[in-house]
Amino acid sequence: MRNKKKAAVWLHSLPAMILIGAIIVFPILYTAYISLTNMNMFHWDNYELIGLDNYVRALFKVDTGFLTAILTTLLWTALNMIIQVVIAFFIALGLNAPGLKLKNLYKTLLMFPWAMPAYVSILLWKVGIYNTEFGLANKVLVALGFEKINYLSQNVPAFISCMVLNLWMALPFMIMMFDGAFQSIDKSYYESAKMDGAGFWMQLFHITVPSVKPIMAPAVIMTTFTTFKQFDIIYLLTQQKGALTGATLQTILTYAHQNAFVSNNYGLSSAVSMIIFVLIVIISLFLNRGLKEEV
Amino acid sequence: MKRKIYSTLCGVLAVGMLGGCGTAGTAANGESKEEAQSTVETSAEEKQEDASSESVETVTVWHDGDESIMQVIADEVNEELEAEHVQVVFEKKTGLTDQLQLYGNDAENGPDMYFYAHDSLGMFAEMGILAPITDFISAEEEKDLLPMTVEAGTYQDTQYLLPVYYETLLFIYNQDLWEGEVPSTTDDLYAYMESHTDTDAGTYAVVNQHSTAYNVAPFINGYGAYIIDKDGNPGLNTDQMIEAVTYNKQFAELMGDGDYDTCNTLFHEQKAAAIIGGPWLISGIKDAGINYGIKSLSDFTLPNGEAMAPYSGVQGIGVMKYAKENKQDAVASVLKAMCKENVGISLAKEASCAPANAKAYEDAEVAADDMIMAMRATAETAQPMPNIPQMSVMWGPAESMLASINKSGQDIKTVADNCQKAAKTAVADMQ
Amino acid sequence: MSKKKVKQKAGLAVLNLVFILLCLIGLVPILYALSLSLSSGTAALSSKLSFLPTGFTLANYKNILVEEPFLQWLWNSIVLAVGTVIVAMACSVTSAYAFSRFRFKGRIQALRGLLILNAFPQILTMFAIFRLFKLLHLLNNRWGLVLIYAGSMCIFSIQNLKGYFDTIPVEIEEASKLDGATELQMLIKIILPLARPAIIVTSVMVLIFVWNEYLFATTFMLNENTYTLAGGLYQLQANDYSRSWPLFTAAAILVSVPILVIFFVIQKHMVSGLTAGGVKG
Repeated sequence: MRNKKKAAVWLHSLPAMILIGAIIVFPILYTAYISLTNMNMFHWDNYELIGLDNYVRALFKVDTGFLTAILTTLLWTALNMIIQVVIAFFIALGLNAPGLKLKNLYKTLLMFPWAMPAYVSILLWKVGIYNTEFGLANKVLVALGFEKINYLSQNVPAFISCMVLNLWMALPFMIMMFDGAFQSIDKSYYESAKMDGAGFWMQLFHITVPSVKPIMAPAVIMTTFTTFKQFDIIYLLTQQKGALTGATLQTILTYAHQNAFVSNNYGLSSAVSMIIFVLIVIISLFLNRGLKEEV
Repeated sequence: MKRKIYSTLCGVLAVGMLGGCGTAGTAANGESKEEAQSTVETSAEEKQEDASSESVETVTVWHDGDESIMQVIADEVNEELEAEHVQVVFEKKTGLTDQLQLYGNDAENGPDMYFYAHDSLGMFAEMGILAPITDFISAEEEKDLLPMTVEAGTYQDTQYLLPVYYETLLFIYNQDLWEGEVPSTTDDLYAYMESHTDTDAGTYAVVNQHSTAYNVAPFINGYGAYIIDKDGNPGLNTDQMIEAVTYNKQFAELMGDGDYDTCNTLFHEQKAAAIIGGPWLISGIKDAGINYGIKSLSDFTLPNGEAMAPYSGVQGIGVMKYAKENKQDAVASVLKAMCKENVGISLAKEASCAPANAKAYEDAEVAADDMIMAMRATAETAQPMPNIPQMSVMWGPAESMLASINKSGQDIKTVADNCQKAAKTAVADMQ
Repeated sequence: MSKKKVKQKAGLAVLNLVFILLCLIGLVPILYALSLSLSSGTAALSSKLSFLPTGFTLANYKNILVEEPFLQWLWNSIVLAVGTVIVAMACSVTSAYAFSRFRFKGRIQALRGLLILNAFPQILTMFAIFRLFKLLHLLNNRWGLVLIYAGSMCIFSIQNLKGYFDTIPVEIEEASKLDGATELQMLIKIILPLARPAIIVTSVMVLIFVWNEYLFATTFMLNENTYTLAGGLYQLQANDYSRSWPLFTAAAILVSVPILVIFFVIQKHMVSGLTAGGVKG
């Protein structure tokens, strides 16, 4: 019986494990291997193992810029996640209010930002909203009689601008996840709660939040990592080649990109990737501690 | 029983994923190749109706440029090579450098040739994915090409790139808005800008992408500064460089945010009387109905008495190493056809490109084109962008220096020192 | 009673108003894109504060539909998306079921391991996948791309589905187990209907991921006729200097519409099997 159960576990998860092994695990191992070689454009075909040299160089690079980048990334992740979860929770709650007839239409419209490829949205925002001369944000400011703002030339406004864009792009997903989670709550709970005379907030904290928590935990954790590794927004908005805006905002990934990947030194950049990976492992260990029962 | 079926299903799914890749892969691969073949044939159909019995050898070229320009080249070359049953097909690849790093030595999937600006040449040459042009074509056949363009296509004494056309920045102005003559010194230009710019109202005299290294190069080179020298040493904090970026900064202050789209729109909407930009802007300017005039940047003198010296970007075609083994003759035919003057003439007429072939400028219609002739004139002072591999890591530090100085208003000397340090690290990191 | 109804109605009106406002704010950049896509100029910007296109025209849409292999790209996107959803869901449903229902040694560790693996930025390993696929001759191959996408979304799907499966009471299965149902029957007949919102939500997630992915799509597919919508659009319009904004935005909107249609259609199927038969809320 025991063996049979074991076999069942394996049989059920085998296809997924093979897929993950090939597409996720193998590439990480291969990257680890490359990080031990001197593969770069001067040794394109004739690269060889050089031990831990790349790691020494990569760690040698750990300067204040890198530490700032880590802090920025953590702040970026935390702020984005908190705002995102709270807003998405209440929007989804509103969508599930009984009697809302146009619910499906609202939902579909709210999903629109998600239906666009990321680079399209980012370019649209950069040119259409944040452009100093013609962007919508400044046009509105001018129409209201304020001064024009250069949104992307200083770090703090640039950080906020990037965050607003990230929220715009990420909220649809969160709303949808919450909406799906709300669907799975047994409505009879509310009925009996009402009988007991529980008010809106009581129901919210005693039924909705606890029921939704286990379902949302994976999605929230996953999104946390997605936010953590967000690269496109900050890169395309502020530091695209030939279109630097002046802000020097760096997350871990843009920092790694600027300091390792532009060099086309595959050995070095692989070492940096592995260091980032270790960092992610450490951070997720902390996260896991906080969410022990969920996962 | 049913449980067994289920288990088998799971197992089959797993095995299928393991082993199936190989077989399914090759089958589908064949299929997609057939697909590719058939599309080539359909596009060739119009021209190859009667020669259908003969097989046409296709030479694939990857590019990351303007499709209409490539179409002009493809039409000319294909007409020329019809009799030889060689056909060139251009395919657009965004992020060409990254793509060639992956596919550059992949004979099965990679292109036969690539068409790109010359500044990434050194990188590809070092990677060992290119075959020298001189293996296919003799010096005699290249004699009409402008020396500057051939120099740009040469890395460490070997020519890897056959120049086809080149680009330099120009001073493009709106003849209806500009008051009086366009000055011939940059100091006079600045004086004009001071009196004709109202940033609050959003009207400008001259706009330029003032924090993009390529667009500041006319100042940098004119002051005798360099972003990187021939030996790969960055020069971001030399005295000349500081002088150049300091001088550029005062212009930047009168040029808005210097974003590509902003500059363009300002000029299109007649809110900027002049723009510093390349020939790629011309079609948009024509569409906007602007009565434009053109002046070569070489005609502006800097305070130090030197002419402004923009970078030139030479667009040319290179050959992948494996194509030499597989398609030597077809590639040679394509190269020969491509350096003929008729390609240059068509490029100039239909796509506003300055051809690399000097003879093309003798054509009456080309000679009458102000913009082409302005670029021809600029070719005398323009400096080809460095094509050493180290240049690829220099854009970042150079531009972050310009952006920090012009956009975030940081201290020039400090920024220059920091960026020089960053640049040196970046260059060292390549090894 | 009627007082309560009035209050309820007023509340609904306010809620409707809030949502209309929210949708409007959210749609501002999209409206901007829409107006650009309908205008006849070439530039992205104008100094006017207006959502009305300058010189209304549908030519941009026509150009995209006629001059670019749009329908071919659409077909490629559909094939890739459907293929990926099938592979990813087949792999993750069974696996999530195992993680949710079986208690085995290393379960928690495996789940955490998956989470960490998923945290690794995949873009950093593109080169390694390239090498692997070159070896397996999976480059420039649709099924290769399906494997990449399915693999990328697999962990997410497992975790997400497992979260829902956990909320389904085990008692329901135990009852049918006694009736002699097999695991397959149980999974298909009981779990899947009960987890319908989860299955749909997860599938849509996978679908949208594939639909909007462009880096792998343009790196691993080499022929213009094999691009996906997002890939083709990226390939043709990503360059600042050669971008035609009206064409770009028209294409972007055309890319998004199928997703919205799908999204709208699946709405009514998103009600859980658990509550659908239960008390009507």
